[in-house]
Amino acid sequence: MKKFWLSTLALCTGLTLAACGGGENEESNADNNAGDGSWQPEQSIEFVAPSGAGGGWDTTARMAAEGFEEQNIMDEGIGVVNKEGGGGAVGWAYIAGKAENPHHLFVASPPLLLIPLNGQSEYGYEDFTPIANMISDYGAFAVREDAPWDDLNELFDDMKDNPDNITVIGESSPGSMDHIQFIKIAKEAGVDPQSVKYVSAQDGSTMTNLLNGNADVYSTGVTETVEQVRAGEIKVLGVTAEERLEGEVVEDFPTAVEQGIDATFINWRGFFGPPGMTDAQIAYYEEKFQELNDSAHWEDTREKYAWNELYMDSEEYAEFLKEEEKTMQELLDDVNMQEE
Amino acid sequence: MGSLEGILSGVQLAFSIEGILFVFLGVLAGTLIGMMPGLGPISAIAIMIPLTYNMDPTVALVLMAGVYYGAVFGGSTSSILLNAPGISGTVATSFDGYPMAQRGEAGKALAVAAISSFVGGTVSVVLLMLFAPALSSVAVVFGPPEYFALMVLGLTAISSLSDGSTVKALISAVLGIMAVTIGIDSQTGTTRFTFNNPNLLEGIDFLVVALGLFALSEVCALIINRSQTSKDRKSLGSLKLSKSELKDMSGPVGRQSILGFILGVLPGAGATIASFIGYITEKKLAKKPKEFGKGAVRGVAAPETANNAATSGAFVPLLSLGIPGSGTTAVLLGALLVLDIQPGPLLMGEQPQLFWGVIVSMYVGNLFLLILNLPLIPYIAKILAIPRPLLISLVIMFSMIGVYSISFNTFDLYLLLIFGIIGYLMRLFKFPPAPFILAFILGGMMEESFRQAMTMSNNDLSVFINKPIALGMLIAAFLSFVVPIWQGYYRKKKHAA
Repeated sequence: MKKFWLSTLALCTGLTLAACGGGENEESNADNNAGDGSWQPEQSIEFVAPSGAGGGWDTTARMAAEGFEEQNIMDEGIGVVNKEGGGGAVGWAYIAGKAENPHHLFVASPPLLLIPLNGQSEYGYEDFTPIANMISDYGAFAVREDAPWDDLNELFDDMKDNPDNITVIGESSPGSMDHIQFIKIAKEAGVDPQSVKYVSAQDGSTMTNLLNGNADVYSTGVTETVEQVRAGEIKVLGVTAEERLEGEVVEDFPTAVEQGIDATFINWRGFFGPPGMTDAQIAYYEEKFQELNDSAHWEDTREKYAWNELYMDSEEYAEFLKEEEKTMQELLDDVNMQEE
Repeated sequence: MGSLEGILSGVQLAFSIEGILFVFLGVLAGTLIGMMPGLGPISAIAIMIPLTYNMDPTVALVLMAGVYYGAVFGGSTSSILLNAPGISGTVATSFDGYPMAQRGEAGKALAVAAISSFVGGTVSVVLLMLFAPALSSVAVVFGPPEYFALMVLGLTAISSLSDGSTVKALISAVLGIMAVTIGIDSQTGTTRFTFNNPNLLEGIDFLVVALGLFALSEVCALIINRSQTSKDRKSLGSLKLSKSELKDMSGPVGRQSILGFILGVLPGAGATIASFIGYITEKKLAKKPKEFGKGAVRGVAAPETANNAATSGAFVPLLSLGIPGSGTTAVLLGALLVLDIQPGPLLMGEQPQLFWGVIVSMYVGNLFLLILNLPLIPYIAKILAIPRPLLISLVIMFSMIGVYSISFNTFDLYLLLIFGIIGYLMRLFKFPPAPFILAFILGGMMEESFRQAMTMSNNDLSVFINKPIALGMLIAAFLSFVVPIWQGYYRKKKHAA
């Protein structure tokens, strides 16, 4: 009997350890290293996905870690750790507590701007060190195949007249990505942001509700729509990219821009470090991420997940984020979602 | 490609050496994971994803599906023996399974659970084969109004989950609804009752509540009353079920195989809700409902059949529509994407081998589970022979590991402790914990679907009446509430006359 418990215990701790990925080393000595101003990590590196296993942040972190390992880009090992909670807030608080210890990086995307602006996290992007953006994704607005609208303008014109009759559904809560990406495009087309009737369904029933007619428009990511489009169940009226996307099926999705609506929404995804990283440390990681980005291995990964390349180094990234935050703030003001 | 040809290619794969080996590994890992309180199939599958990179997609899915239903199969063990649900789908099993074990019938309870799980699992796979293509349209029929009605129907069962005071049961349910409102409100994005604590933003995980209210409160009771509870809990009792017991459980098993499957097909309902609704319907149908909650064989058979049947049902929307109906199937969907498989409405036609291979392997998997679990019962049940101080510390430790593995956050451990204390206080003052947990599950979904429906209909309440399915369920809910009152009144009148 003891054996049974011991083996279950072993399996259990094994799983826990595997999930934690190790690397709980806490010593922080940021200003170690040779006198030539360069920097090298002195312990294994931790990639934090501020979400549960399986989501976009988690996948990005795991695939990047795998890429670094496969290509032998870094000397140190990389462990991926999930810090789930608060839509990211728990993970961000964890990284904020790792100030001066540049061995803990995390994956982020637009929620890093939106959640603090909604007052749901005390830490925002400016509390962290942007290192490199790696990929981008775009939003898509889908309707049922038999819906009366054939392009975004028809939909938005109808929305201007009868906002109450059109339900927009998305995964995330109001004020977060699925909602804001729709608002951004609709506002540019002249729809009153406050009149948009948005419903959030967080139990995975979004597509179901579009198909069964409870919702009329589904605001989501491009990849989520592909299979239903192929099956002839839904059509995509517009995507939020600047230019047509490449690849089967998605190349047929018109952009909002080509329909005369001059607005885009980028679901960027990249890596950040804790507060207070030195220039040498940033330079070290920038170089490594650049190398990963240029590798054929990462190109395969991007293809597999239908991610688009969008590399930005630390400086560009910081500029970009500043602009994005301003835009997000305006949109949230428009829908009255911001913290008082 | 005709479906017969597709089925044959699936059979071929499922009975290949590779297919049999991986389904065995999957269900073995699943059963073990399910047996440990708190460690669920979601994290296990997510951790497995990197291992499957270079596997054949069908074999990989066979393996991961095996982990999923294996965990639901094995989850009953700790519910029955320790009152510590292995996974959320087996909370209802502890209502009668634990009393049975306390009565010295642990072996019998485990046997009932294993047999019901096997039948539920197998019957539902048959249903899956016969109706998966047809049922895909049923899966999308349910929208917010229908879910709201289903939750209301489920909540009418609160009164039947208490054997003492109805008022206390209702209070317990209200506490459950209060607990589930903590977190970011999904429809407005406002935070509710989080006290600026980021750890509370996503709400409280179901397992924290279940393990606290059931396992930890039991531990508290065992420690505090250690002098008086010297009943012989060590005996395993006979494994054999008498003929009358088998006959007794055949009704619930038959009905719940079908009902559980249908609930599993509905996205969002899943094994947990199926097990509760299974338990409740059988209690309502039973000739002696008073036995429920005190160690009734039917009370173990019903939820165990339903949760396993629901697990197969959950594969309908996943495989035929590409829509994940639960957290676990969502992770499975992610795993398929890694393997370059795009689950969607065209999957069945384009990849018949994958579609049918997985389904056929589920027969084999269920058979393995039965063979694995039945002979192990005497050994597993010996857990009860572990000296009490050691057993108590093991329960505490496993509950903690389980809760920590949900999101690797120590904050959840404090919450677990708080719910353990709440559970003990409730027990002390005779508030039943079952309505709390039921309201916690159903209440959250009820609120969300109600508000979604209201937004969609521009605050027009008639949306619940205009939909036939929703209306039907609301009427059923009304009747199940009113009929007992009327019956009581009628009986009293008759008595007086």
